[in-house]
Amino acid sequence: MTSKGLILVVDDDPDIVATSRIILESNGYEVQAASSGKEALELLSRCKPDLMLLDVMMASDTEGFELAFKLKEDPEFRELPIIMLTAFLEKVRTEGPGPFQFILGEQWPVEWLFEKPLDTKKLLAKIEAIFKSRKMVPGG
Amino acid sequence: MGTVAHDAEPDADRGAAATLCWWPVRIRWAAAIVLLAAVGAARAAGVVFAAGPLVLVALFLLAGNVLVCRRFSGLVDRQTRTRPMRRQLVAWQAVIDGAAFWAAAYFSGGATSPLAAGCLLPIFFVALLLPKPTAYRYCAAVLAALGLTALSELFGWLPHHPVAYQGADLVASPHPAQALGSLGMIAAVGLLTTGLAGSAAGSWRRQVKDLEHLRQTEAVFNRRLQGIFSILETIGSVRDLNRVLETAVSEVALVMQVKGVSVKLLSEDGKLLRYAAAFGLPERMIREKVVEVERSPLNKRIIQGEPFVTGRVTATEMFQFGEALSEANFRSVLFVPLNLEGRVIGILGAYCETPDRFAAEEVNFFRLAARLVAVAVENARAYEAVTAMSHERTWFMMKVAHNLRAPLAGMLSILEVVRDGYLGPVNDRQGEYLRRLDRRARTMLALVNELMTLSRNRQRGEIESGVTELAALARRVRRTFQDKAAEKRIGFQVSLPEGLPDVRGRLETVEQMVENLVSNAIKYTPAEGSVEVRFSRANGTVRLEVSDTGIGIPAADRPRLFTEFFRSENAKAMEEVGTGLGLAIVKEITDQLGGRILVESEEGAGTIFVVHLPIAAAATS
Repeated sequence: MTSKGLILVVDDDPDIVATSRIILESNGYEVQAASSGKEALELLSRCKPDLMLLDVMMASDTEGFELAFKLKEDPEFRELPIIMLTAFLEKVRTEGPGPFQFILGEQWPVEWLFEKPLDTKKLLAKIEAIFKSRKMVPGG
Repeated sequence: MGTVAHDAEPDADRGAAATLCWWPVRIRWAAAIVLLAAVGAARAAGVVFAAGPLVLVALFLLAGNVLVCRRFSGLVDRQTRTRPMRRQLVAWQAVIDGAAFWAAAYFSGGATSPLAAGCLLPIFFVALLLPKPTAYRYCAAVLAALGLTALSELFGWLPHHPVAYQGADLVASPHPAQALGSLGMIAAVGLLTTGLAGSAAGSWRRQVKDLEHLRQTEAVFNRRLQGIFSILETIGSVRDLNRVLETAVSEVALVMQVKGVSVKLLSEDGKLLRYAAAFGLPERMIREKVVEVERSPLNKRIIQGEPFVTGRVTATEMFQFGEALSEANFRSVLFVPLNLEGRVIGILGAYCETPDRFAAEEVNFFRLAARLVAVAVENARAYEAVTAMSHERTWFMMKVAHNLRAPLAGMLSILEVVRDGYLGPVNDRQGEYLRRLDRRARTMLALVNELMTLSRNRQRGEIESGVTELAALARRVRRTFQDKAAEKRIGFQVSLPEGLPDVRGRLETVEQMVENLVSNAIKYTPAEGSVEVRFSRANGTVRLEVSDTGIGIPAADRPRLFTEFFRSENAKAMEEVGTGLGLAIVKEITDQLGGRILVESEEGAGTIFVVHLPIAAAATS
C-alpha cells in the first residue's frame, strides 16, 4: 500500500505519539516520531516529511513554538505545513506572547492549532485538506 | 498642654479689653458737650458762677480726647493691641479725666460741689482696667487733690469759687466739717469702687482666659480626634503597609504639631530596627538606615517598653539612637514603643525643633497613637499574609489542574484508539464500558478545565481592560446553544434590543460567564421547557437575564450556590455529571468585572439569574 504522505509527530508524551501513530498509520500515512525539538531537527536532517504534528509544551512551555520559528527561518523547511497541538489551548490563546499570536496568523506554516485530547475526525479532515490544497504527490 | 501658651494673653481677652478702653473716649465727647450746654443753660437761667474756667474745662476735655485719639489711633485695628499700649491709653485718659473733674469741682464750689462726686467715674474706669495697686494709687491721688484743694480753700490759699442764684450762694464756702463729710463720702465710695471693680475685673479677666484656654484645648482635642479618625479610616480602607504607615506618620505629625514623625519596625528576629516610614525627616538620613538594637542601648530600652522623652536632645543621644539628625536641629524628641498585645513591633518617634516640647500629657497621647499605629501595621501585615496565602492557593490549584491535564489527554487518546477499533474489534459490552470510561474521563477533563479557568481568573484578580460588544456576545451565545437546545426540544431565545452600550471585560471572559449560565439553564430544564437570555439597560448597567423553566434551586441551597464544588441534590438527581464549578466561575467573573449577580428561583418552576454588567468606560463617556 502506498503511503499518503510522511507525517512527523513531535511530542514528549509517548502515549500521544503512540496513539497518533496508530491513527495516522491506519489512515494510510507514514509516521516518524520525535520526543523533543532537538530530536525533531535531527530527524529533519535525514527525512523530508510532508506535514508535522507539533506539541507546544514539551521540556519548556514554548519548545514547540521555538521549533516552528526555527523551521520558518530555514529555507528548506519554510513550506512544511505544521499543525500544532496543545493541552492548553485557552492558555496559549489568552496568554501566549506576541509571537504566538503571529504564528496563528495566516502567513505562517502553522496551519492549525488543535486542542488535546484530539478530536481524531477533525484532525484527519484537516490533514486531508492540507494535503489536497498543497497538491502533494503521495510519498513525497 | 504644650500647644497652649499660658503666658501669652488670649486673643479674645485682648479684643474685649481694647474695646473697653475706648468707652471713656465716647463718654468724654458727650460729657464735654453736656458741660458746655450746662454752663450755657445755667448762665441763661441767671446762675452766677465761674463759667469761663468751666468752659475751659470742657474744651480741655475735647482737646484731651483729640490727643488720645491721635496718639492711640492704631490701637483699634492693629494686631498689636498689647497690654502696655492699652495701659498707657487708660493712664492718659485717667490723667485727663482726673484733672478735668478736679478743675470742674474746684470751679463749681470746691469740695461740696456736686461735680466733686464725678471724680468717682475715672476712679471706676481705672479700677476696671488697670491692676489693683495702680488703681489704689490713682484713687488716692484724686482724693488727695480734692482734699488739698478743700484745705487750701479753708486756709484761704486758693480762692473759693461760689455758685450763686438770685443772690443766694448755692454752694456756700463750706464749713470744714461739711467739707470733711463730703470728701469722706467720696473717699469711701472711691476706695470701695476701686476694690470692687478691681476684683470684678480680675475675675472677669480670669474667666475670659479660662474660656480661651478651654477653646484651645478643645481645638487640640478636635485635632487629635480627627487624626485618630484618619488613622482608623486608613486601617479600614488601605491594605498596603507602606501606604498605611505614610498616612499614619503624616497624621500623627499634624495632630501633635511636630516637625517630624518616624516609624521604625523591628525585624522578625528583633535584632534590627528599620525605618518603615518617616514624615518631615531629611530623606538621605533615613534611607536604607538600619539600626542594630544590641548596639543602641537607648533603643533597646524603648523596645523593652520604656518611652524616651527629652527636651534638650544631645548629639550623642541622637547618635546612640542611630539617627544622624543633629543637622536637622531637633531639640525635643519623643520615642515610644509600638506595642501590640504585649509585643513590641517597633518604635514611633516624634521630633521637634522647640526645646522642652513634650509635656507628660502629650507623651500619653503619643503612646495611644502608637497603639493605633501598631494595630494599623498588624492589620496591613495580616492582609498581606492573607493575600499571599490566597495567591499561593490559586497558584497551587492552577498547578494541580495543569499537571492533571496532560495525563488526561493521553488517557483519552488511548481510549479513543481502543474504542474506535484501531486495535481490533470491540464487542458491544466492551464498547459500553469504554463509553462509560470515556464519559467519566471527560467529566474529569471538564473539571480540570474549569479549575484552570477559575484559578486563571483569580490570578488575574483585576478588572480586565477589554470591552465586549453585546451584539457579538449575543450572536456567539445563540450559535453555541441553539443546536443543543433544539436537541433537547427546549425553546431557546436570545433577545438584544438595539442601542445597548458595550460592557466591561473581554468578549471571551464575558462569554464564558454567560455560557456557564445558559449551559446550566439548558442542562436543568426538562424537554419542552424554555430558556431565555434577555439584555436590557438598567441604572447605568446592562442587565442580563437568563431564565429557564427548569427544576429550580431549593431555597436552602441558594446561599451556597456560588461555592466551589457545590451542587444541589435535585441537580445531581437530574444530571449525574457536573463539576460544581460553573457558578463559582460566573461569580468570579462577575466580581472581577465589578458587576452584581442575583438569583430568583422556585423549585419545580424555574430559575432566573440576573447579572448587572458595568458599562465599558468608553461607552459611558
